[in-house]
Amino acid sequence: MLGTASAVEARDVRKRFGPVEALRGLTVTVRTGEIYGLLGPNGSGKTTLIRCVAGLVRPDGGALSVLGDRPRDAVASGRVGYMTQVPALYVELSAQENLAFFAALMGVSDADGRIERALRTVELLDRRRSVVATLSGGMRQRLSLAAALLPDPRLLLLDEPTVGVDPGLRREFWAHFRSLAVAGVTILVASHVMDEAARCDRLGLIRDGRVLAEGSAEELRSRAGTADLESAFLALSEAPS
Amino acid sequence: MNARRVVAVARRVASQFRRDHRTLGLLFGAPILVLALVGALWGSSDTRVTRIVVATTPPVPAPVLDALRRIDTLVVSTDSPEGAMQRLRDGTADAMIALRAGVARTEIVVTLEGSDPLRTGGVLGAVQKGILSAAGGAPGAAPPLQVEYLYGGPDRSLLDHLAPLFIAFFAFFFTFLLSAVSFLRERTTGTLERLLATPLRRGELVVGYLIGFGIFALLQAAVIIGFTVWVLQVRYQGSLATIFLIEAMLVICAVSIGLFASAFARTELQAIQFIPLIVVPQAFLAGFLVPVDQLPDVLRPFSVVMPLTYAMEALRAVMVKGYALADALILRDVAVLGAFGLITIAGAIASIRREVA
Repeated sequence: MLGTASAVEARDVRKRFGPVEALRGLTVTVRTGEIYGLLGPNGSGKTTLIRCVAGLVRPDGGALSVLGDRPRDAVASGRVGYMTQVPALYVELSAQENLAFFAALMGVSDADGRIERALRTVELLDRRRSVVATLSGGMRQRLSLAAALLPDPRLLLLDEPTVGVDPGLRREFWAHFRSLAVAGVTILVASHVMDEAARCDRLGLIRDGRVLAEGSAEELRSRAGTADLESAFLALSEAPS
Repeated sequence: MNARRVVAVARRVASQFRRDHRTLGLLFGAPILVLALVGALWGSSDTRVTRIVVATTPPVPAPVLDALRRIDTLVVSTDSPEGAMQRLRDGTADAMIALRAGVARTEIVVTLEGSDPLRTGGVLGAVQKGILSAAGGAPGAAPPLQVEYLYGGPDRSLLDHLAPLFIAFFAFFFTFLLSAVSFLRERTTGTLERLLATPLRRGELVVGYLIGFGIFALLQAAVIIGFTVWVLQVRYQGSLATIFLIEAMLVICAVSIGLFASAFARTELQAIQFIPLIVVPQAFLAGFLVPVDQLPDVLRPFSVVMPLTYAMEALRAVMVKGYALADALILRDVAVLGAFGLITIAGAIASIRREVA
């Protein structure tokens, strides 16, 4: 069951990059142990919010707490895993060497055991010695996920985790995300893929740096009175806010 | 060949250029910057004064001294032979003139400092001209001139004198470029973002880079010094350990300047564009092409803020003049390089911002 405490608490968060107002008073509560989907078009502010939560960007205004702490403190304590949109890996190093490096940075205990488990989870154990430059795009995406899983995070941030991943692997990814959530891990995932969004416990529809609507996929559909999530999204984003 | 396709390619290249303001700026700005430096360095028609010190024993005839003093390109002073030698050594005089009783007749001995071939020729010319005109202008009128050198001398090749500068310059150049380009890759491939979303601190990242790069940079320094000394057979004085220490301090500066500079580039091409902005001016102003104290007044302040100035000065003092680490000049230069290292490390850390749009 979902916990009552919140893993991420964003209140009226604002962020501006020069002339671009990326977040305009965004308010979101991600409950502990749920899979929360940020759903919105490109440029809506999903990635900026995730980067704020990861402690990479400091909001200009509003309040943001992550696992009860300031974002950077939560990240520094090693409780947050972050999978970037592009698989950020060292292409000259092997899969194993990449994970060993990130494990060392995150202060993971029993690194060898955890690396092996992470590689098994993403089904790359047999390619552990392969140099990343020789891996396919999907394999790199899987390795990137493995790196995010290494510290046994309490909060997993996924920025469009299945872009470029084939449907079979996407299903496996989501099965894995679900089992993590069952084990108590909170997952905040940014996506613009509707079938992915439907697998989240709750969704926040984001546009122009604001949350337009929030609820489960079912709730959003019935609120908009549409048959599918995509139409619901379109209906809700066109409604006057 | 299809003209339309050719034109399409040419047009596309031109459009890309038009949008890349930095490359455009460099294309036109860099040659002007470099030419302006060349103009400032060599274009000036000012006659530089040469400071000569005349040894008082054996006494130089007063008419000769007076004649020398009347020449406006010379600043003439007198001192005891020991005092005159000391002034040559500490750089307050460019040449020393003394009389020496020869077998047949008295000869004039001109002693030059000799560590910098760029300077030596000019000084010798000025002194010769001065003595000739003091003697009344006729070549036969002046007593024979004997030229000696405080450091080195005609048996030294140009390479012996320039090797310290090359050793410093190449170590700086390659280390700077490599660290700038490789840290730029960290910034552009997203791995920096990932690293910053871990408990890793920015200072830890920079110091880690310094060590990782530093090992290879020091190996490179050892190879450069070894090749210079054993393969090129450059004659040097001073200890190899001191030479290596100075080189090590310089490459630490080079790595952190590289990390810092990478913050201002978005592509590897832009990182390479730093060469005319950071590397070439240092070559011009740090004593590579013109002795630092002969730089035009407007340019001299720049040489003060360039680590290469101090590394070149110290390496030349050790390799050509035989200075040791304990000498005040070397200690000062090493300390200045250390301070540069700390400042550039702080700059590199500050350039890694979590905030990247």
